[in-house]
Amino acid sequence: MNCIMFHILFLSSLEGFFFGSGKAHVVTGVALTILAGIALSLWRMDRRLTRIESESNDTP
Amino acid sequence: MSNWNVLWKFGGILLLAYVIVVGFGTPLQPGLVEASPDRLVPGPVTLELHAVGQPFADEVGSTDGHRLILRSGTDLIDTRLIEVAPHRVQAEVTIPEQMPSPALDAFLFTPATGTLFLGNAFFVEGAGSGPVADEFKAKAPDERSPDLGFSFPYQPNIMESIRNLLWHVPMWFAMFFVMGIGFVASLMQLRTDRIEWDHRGEAAVRTGLVFGLLGLATGSLWARWTWGAWWVSDPQLNGALVTVLLYTGYLILRAAMSDDERVGRLSAVYNVFAFVMLVILLMVLPRYTESLHPGKDGNPGFNSYDLDNSLRAVFYPAVIGWGALCYWMYTLRLRMNRAEHRLLTK
Repeated sequence: MNCIMFHILFLSSLEGFFFGSGKAHVVTGVALTILAGIALSLWRMDRRLTRIESESNDTP
Repeated sequence: MSNWNVLWKFGGILLLAYVIVVGFGTPLQPGLVEASPDRLVPGPVTLELHAVGQPFADEVGSTDGHRLILRSGTDLIDTRLIEVAPHRVQAEVTIPEQMPSPALDAFLFTPATGTLFLGNAFFVEGAGSGPVADEFKAKAPDERSPDLGFSFPYQPNIMESIRNLLWHVPMWFAMFFVMGIGFVASLMQLRTDRIEWDHRGEAAVRTGLVFGLLGLATGSLWARWTWGAWWVSDPQLNGALVTVLLYTGYLILRAAMSDDERVGRLSAVYNVFAFVMLVILLMVLPRYTESLHPGKDGNPGFNSYDLDNSLRAVFYPAVIGWGALCYWMYTLRLRMNRAEHRLLTK
């Protein structure tokens, strides 16, 4: 996967307009950061809910 | 979380990461977008054509292997290239005194990226109607199969915004998916009168609305780029907006009542009605009308003109990834509903 991406992003002789503008990597970085933030918050919410559910099941 | 839960949740996130990296990282195939001057008169003239996407030449320099040919009707007119840059060519041409059509299409033959085409690139004023004289005629070069590597197809008007296909369409698919869950839950609620189905219906609609709003936002952004306006009066767009408003009404209806049993039954009836309207407004009515939106006018889905293999390699993972994220959000909301109900009824 890394090898493929390296080829696509850096080794292609046909560097595109999208890269030429210099913004593609910034957009990718921002989008990945947002996705990581969403994933982290969902995961934390998931864990918290699991704890609440187990506490609720333990309580008579 | 069990192993299976970790797998599908984080598998979905990984797929979305792949979609972001490859979706933004893949170059666009080249395409001609602009010609100047757009009005020509018979006689010698210098033409310029601009392109977007992958460059068709490495740097400003040799014109070897490149050819620009103009087409009037079925007659081809030769040109002489004077400069080839990564996204631009300049050529000299003598416009004939007569030609079959005043509109000229441009064909740029390149060794690295194949044949680029721009329809109605130039318009000739003051030329007579008739066949092009033999001295101006060109013979088309042989077709070549360029190796463009892994790249997204060039579509006129859409251009780089084709990447939005990986966001906008899967978001609507995710909304359909989760609203479908809500529809089934509401039917079960009406049949069994169990609060569990009401929890499922509410969680599905709330999650689906998030994806519906995201679908509207990404669609509006796309419309601004390709159609020139944030919103156009189109049956598909208006249907999408009405659908989102209908589902917003579902949440307002729930908030307006306090009796749990009545809330459950009434909102289940409303949800069934809303889902039927969703199908009619988004899948049935737009197909009976002319629409700017692709996939309409009798064509229900994507075809070879909309998707190629490189796009499919990212689009299908995007559908699964957005679907998984949507389903994860739905399960969280459902568990919150259950936990809240348990606390309130203890």
